[in-house]
Amino acid sequence: MTASTSGHPLSGRAAIVGIGETGYVRGADETVLEMVLGASMAAIRDAGLTPADIDGILPPPGFVAWDEIAAHLGIPDVRYTSTPQMGGASPTAALTTAMMAIASGVAETILVPIGWNGYSALRPRPDAKPSKRRFSAAFFETVRNYYGPYGLRSAPWWYSLYLQRYVELYDVPPEAPGAVAVAARKHAQLRPNALMHGRAMTMDDYLASPYITEPLRKFDCCVETDCAAAVVVTSAERARDLPHRPVLLLGGAEGHANPAHELTNRADVLDLGLSRAAPRAFEMAGVTARDMDFLQIYDCFTHVVLLQLEALGLAERGGAPDLVKGGALELGGAYPLNTAGGMLSQGHCWGLNLVVEAARQLRHDAGDAQVHGAELGLVTGYGDLGDGSIVILGRG
Amino acid sequence: MSTADKQIPRPAELDLEFFQAATSTGELHVQKCADCSDHHHPPRLYCPRCFSDRYVFEKVSGRGTVYSYTVSHFTTEKAWKDEVPWATIVVQLDEGPRLVGTARGIDPGAIRIGLPVRVVTETVTDDFAYLWVEADAGAEPEKTGNERAEEAR
Repeated sequence: MTASTSGHPLSGRAAIVGIGETGYVRGADETVLEMVLGASMAAIRDAGLTPADIDGILPPPGFVAWDEIAAHLGIPDVRYTSTPQMGGASPTAALTTAMMAIASGVAETILVPIGWNGYSALRPRPDAKPSKRRFSAAFFETVRNYYGPYGLRSAPWWYSLYLQRYVELYDVPPEAPGAVAVAARKHAQLRPNALMHGRAMTMDDYLASPYITEPLRKFDCCVETDCAAAVVVTSAERARDLPHRPVLLLGGAEGHANPAHELTNRADVLDLGLSRAAPRAFEMAGVTARDMDFLQIYDCFTHVVLLQLEALGLAERGGAPDLVKGGALELGGAYPLNTAGGMLSQGHCWGLNLVVEAARQLRHDAGDAQVHGAELGLVTGYGDLGDGSIVILGRG
Repeated sequence: MSTADKQIPRPAELDLEFFQAATSTGELHVQKCADCSDHHHPPRLYCPRCFSDRYVFEKVSGRGTVYSYTVSHFTTEKAWKDEVPWATIVVQLDEGPRLVGTARGIDPGAIRIGLPVRVVTETVTDDFAYLWVEADAGAEPEKTGNERAEEAR
């Protein structure tokens, strides 16, 4: 049992008590709404609860809104709802919001859902039901005016604008991002629901993969999938009466680079939102990155993982390539990473699949991927143009 | 390489003022605070340095150096399929702000951080100017890109 030792008024007051996820597929049978409701019901049932117990809903922006979820699930009395505007960092950021809402008594039992048609939005099956589900954000205006005209239409092209500087200034060898990709793929072989289950990848395969836009190769990029996931968070007191071992929220924070709405005009373009968020979360939890038994790091792109390892304080700027050598990120290594395959090899579920996996690890229910005796772990989020979020979790 | 068939945006509000300053004169302009003279990009309604709401768009030389870049080998856009590999450069302007544009007349393989470059505008519509990045032949080649990168560490 991991108790909070920091004395922070939010630390250890709330716990993840239910988890749910769909498969991670290309061309789902269900609509986005059906997937979100399915994962949500799975999480609520896993918690030993019914929709009538839910009184808060914190969905990410776009796709499915809280009122649809409440209506379709028959949640009778929603006391609190809010939506972080942080793209892929939103689900993990929502967990900190849940900590605040629960500790303050504004709500008691909160649903954090996400689901999308990350693959099928652009490539619908011929027999697919019509869908208008999509995502929009204020920074899209920056992209339209200042990146899009130059052929930079989506995340790999945008982020490469700063990742290439990281690679050139710090002589980052391709084997460093390769180690992230290979670890994720190895771990996906232990999860039958991972998109890349059954599709092994070696470092040679990685190095042979073609560039999309330098420094990003094809295998540096996460896999676009149709999927949904959800977790249920409640008070630490109520968690004690529910079926599963509680997973305590010990610390949580968000952070944003300045300016947040444009990538290239930051004093230091390698300064992620997580650089600011991580120290706040560790302070709240009373622990450091080196205390973690595993890391679930938002792996939209491998180089972004390297930068986050540095932002967490595990390495100096430019030091991540040394840190990840020798299988350090693989199960059995010093820093087991994304033990279900992450977004690189399990599926892109806006990082909430990383939260689901972290909860499994801390319940000691992660099967062949179990980190022996795991007591502490963290999950990060990275979204839009570098917004960062993080939660520190402990076995209750 | 040309702007034909490329995605041409229709900027609004303050971004439109940035582009119209260029399209109406044929020359690159960047927002400058009318109180503290700080330059910024993209434009903002309040100066991030002194919080003034008074600003002008001021003509700049376009001169600067490569701050970062990407060479793209793949695209899902029809208009760019014949352009691969093309390079996009983040230019550190001498005046301070950074601008993004397409490399023109520079071998993508020769681009390095610190290379002297110049931003040139091309008026595409009344409301949008394309930004090209060319080698700055007039610049003193006093340091190589690698030497500048070394300094940046």
